[in-house]
Amino acid sequence: MTNMEREDGTTRDELVQRVALMEAMIAEGRRSTARYGWIFVMWGLIYFVAMAWVVYLPLKDWAWPVCICVGVLVSIAKGRRKRASGGSETLRSRSIEAVWQIFSVGITLYVIGAIASGHGGQPSYYAAILFFIGVAHGISARILRWGAQGLAAAIWWACGIAMFFFTTRNEVLAIFLIATFFGMIVFGLYAMMLERRRAAGMVQAHA
Amino acid sequence: MAEFEQEDGMTRDDLVQRVALMEAMIAEGRRYTGRNSWLFVLWGLVDLTAWAWQNYSPHFGGRWAWPICLPAGAVLTLAGKMLQKSETGYSSNDLCSRVMSVWGMMGLAMGIYVASAILTHFTWQYSYVAGLLMMLGMAHAISAMFLRWRMQGLVAAVYWAGGVAIFACNSWKATNAIMLFEMGVVMMLFGLYAMGREPRRSGVKGERA
Repeated sequence: MTNMEREDGTTRDELVQRVALMEAMIAEGRRSTARYGWIFVMWGLIYFVAMAWVVYLPLKDWAWPVCICVGVLVSIAKGRRKRASGGSETLRSRSIEAVWQIFSVGITLYVIGAIASGHGGQPSYYAAILFFIGVAHGISARILRWGAQGLAAAIWWACGIAMFFFTTRNEVLAIFLIATFFGMIVFGLYAMMLERRRAAGMVQAHA
Repeated sequence: MAEFEQEDGMTRDDLVQRVALMEAMIAEGRRYTGRNSWLFVLWGLVDLTAWAWQNYSPHFGGRWAWPICLPAGAVLTLAGKMLQKSETGYSSNDLCSRVMSVWGMMGLAMGIYVASAILTHFTWQYSYVAGLLMMLGMAHAISAMFLRWRMQGLVAAVYWAGGVAIFACNSWKATNAIMLFEMGVVMMLFGLYAMGREPRRSGVKGERA
């Protein structure tokens, strides 16, 4: 094929290079998410512990604040250690990080506002939380063109819809557990598995 | 300045080129938002129309105000986007597609959230209304971070403050006033501001707000 030139002066080789660069950035973005797969698993487990505390243990009012604080501290500490140990960062992986940071700020403000004003038990409150998590997954999935994360977003949204229809305490708990298990823990394990497979591949390639 | 070479083999010129590219992408991303800011104005008008219909003509099918106005807004959005894409000179880059991903996903989630709440008659809850504002605030904040655009960051903060204020005020009168201010005034003003900047910005690269 000849090296044709477009109207705006871009040659075919340049276009091919740009596509290759974009593909490399998408792959790096996915790897970056996979490297942080443990965060999804950890937060899934934190949700499980908090819910179990609410159901079975005393001082129920402290369950979510304590668990969330522990989760935030562990995330920050482990995130810093991972960053200090090195790892390439692209514009795309930084975008994904920005999405999750903004999501964390937004959801924290919403939860504090709702709980402080006594609106924390409304169906639309639970639904909104699931929709927020779904939005963060959905944006990441669109940026990384990653079907598996898109599926995680769909699970959160489907469970968010279910929150409006099933409103008893046990139903809300069951829906939240389903969303957490499939949309957080299973997705996190899948991401970790991908990262492990990639790392094994790299070791084989170097051997 | 002497040309230095870093450990990873990147020269100063390479770095300068990369920074220039990133600034050009950010500028293009802001222009993209400017080109699409008519959507903010449109949705501000849609919300105001639905709100006015519901409050001032409640006996003239007032309960159908939102179920009619929201799909109408969606149809107008799709029509406008199709018209815009058919125009010549419509360009976008990687950053634009990321901004588009944010708004696309937010729009989809919000559509499902609103439809579910209307179907199940939960739109009266404060947490529902606050949830809408928080979601919009998130989309603005993510977009502002991508584009390093302080003005849009300010809009996000105003939306989040509105969401928290709904919980704090705990009254329908205040909720109505906050919604009117956020959906009508803030959304339309930001849309008009971005539209006003768009023609001036054309051809200007790497500009910072």
